[in-house]
Amino acid sequence: MTRKPMRRTIRGGRPYFFADPAIDKVLNMVVVLASEVWTLRERLLAMEALQVQQGGLSAGEVDAFEFSADDEGNLAIQRKEFIDSLFRVLAEQVDEAERTVSATRKTSPKVKTRTRKTARKK
Amino acid sequence: MLELKHELKLTKTRDEKARMNFVSGLRAHVLNDMATGMRKVYDADVEPRFRQQHRRAPKDGPEVHKAIKPNDYFKFYSSLRVTAQDMVWQSVIPPLERNRPELKEKAARLTGKRPKMKGKGKGKGTLAIRPGFEVPRYVSAIDVHLMAGNYDGEYEPDDLAAGALYDNGLAVFSFGLMGQNLDDIGQSIAGFIKLKFPKLKPAKILDLGCTIGHNTGSWKDHFPQAEVHGIDVAAPCLRYAHARAEAQNRELHFHQMNAEQLDFPDASFDVVFSSMFLHEIPKKAIAKVMAEAYRVLKPGGLMLHMELPPNSQLSAYDAFYLDWDSAYNNEPFYKPFRDLRPEKICRDAGFSSKNYLQFVIPSVGWYGEEVSRAAATQPRDVDNDKTGRLTDGIMWYCFGAWK
Repeated sequence: MTRKPMRRTIRGGRPYFFADPAIDKVLNMVVVLASEVWTLRERLLAMEALQVQQGGLSAGEVDAFEFSADDEGNLAIQRKEFIDSLFRVLAEQVDEAERTVSATRKTSPKVKTRTRKTARKK
Repeated sequence: MLELKHELKLTKTRDEKARMNFVSGLRAHVLNDMATGMRKVYDADVEPRFRQQHRRAPKDGPEVHKAIKPNDYFKFYSSLRVTAQDMVWQSVIPPLERNRPELKEKAARLTGKRPKMKGKGKGKGTLAIRPGFEVPRYVSAIDVHLMAGNYDGEYEPDDLAAGALYDNGLAVFSFGLMGQNLDDIGQSIAGFIKLKFPKLKPAKILDLGCTIGHNTGSWKDHFPQAEVHGIDVAAPCLRYAHARAEAQNRELHFHQMNAEQLDFPDASFDVVFSSMFLHEIPKKAIAKVMAEAYRVLKPGGLMLHMELPPNSQLSAYDAFYLDWDSAYNNEPFYKPFRDLRPEKICRDAGFSSKNYLQFVIPSVGWYGEEVSRAAATQPRDVDNDKTGRLTDGIMWYCFGAWK
């Protein structure tokens, strides 16, 4: 037997608590993500402390720092991209809706019929 | 997160340490803050609802469990606790995987299989692994407390990775409540026993189901003249235990053995101890282990098991709280053990009822030497909120008998 990687999956099953196990799984993902967010914060703090130690920064300098107008502009763009990518899964639903709408426009009579029906109901 | 204090500790990156810190913090939050929260939700909502329906309070742990199961707070508590438990091991495996070759090399040096490092490995302990030893199914078939690979998983010849996973995992898992060397149980109990029974001068001490020997060493510290032995079925844990003991300069003797059938002669030990062991094995095995303990003890010797407190001594809610592990943490034998009556299983193994004893010992790490040792003269009852529960202010429960 040579060296094999250690097993990372659990035998004996994983319990679920919510009516839909997907909720447990999503919660797990959120917590794993939170752990990575925390890891980044610790790393940033370490970088900052190192900079202060080596004289590249003075204590509190990062907190007092203001971005230039150009940097602010770039950050705003990046922030928007970040938020868009975070909610991409929801955007897919909107894309789908848009595709349906444009498809129905091409077959305009149906649209008209529907509109009339709706109008009558009202 | 607690850093291991011995030479086998892993080299970790900044990010790996941060992940472990996070998991420790998450566990402390779930087991302290959320556990307190859940009790409040139970008192304010779950219990009154039960009373309304049944015109009485829940009578035992299973009734509390059934009543609280639909509650959202219970679901979040449980789901987060499972996640945190899983993350304990997952935070250790990546650095451990990278450290494996070096870890093995260090262990070989410490145990004398390679030229010794200067000043290290003076423990002179021993290790006896049995080729062809059969690990019982109740260990080999599941990943207990969601630990991938369990105690006995082996991934290369002479592997000790499972022991390292357990040691480093416990450091994350315990968020400081099991002592700086993960030996709070051993230190609290061996210290207590020495004070409580000053005439006890054991020549030989046996620790059953010792895993990585983290609590075995405390007996050597408190009774340095004694020969201290530890047995377990899991070879990788024992190999690690041996190297760990050598790194700590403790002379301990480890053997691969099943506690149901010990290879020691009758009447050969003065103290037979175990910690957090009986609840990991089925009832049939417990009976055999107790009978073996009786057999290998010298007349006048002491058997002592540190364990979770029995359900018979807990309120319905606290019984439910401890039984959570049995239902959700891959601990199938946890509740069946806690449903047993400690005094009865001692009697069934041949110990006389009048020689039965049980103690609640305040954690020496949490309360300090003075309070912990004072317990030797002021007996305590099982404290529902603290006994055997990994929470701030933990106390250790143990029971046993004189032969």
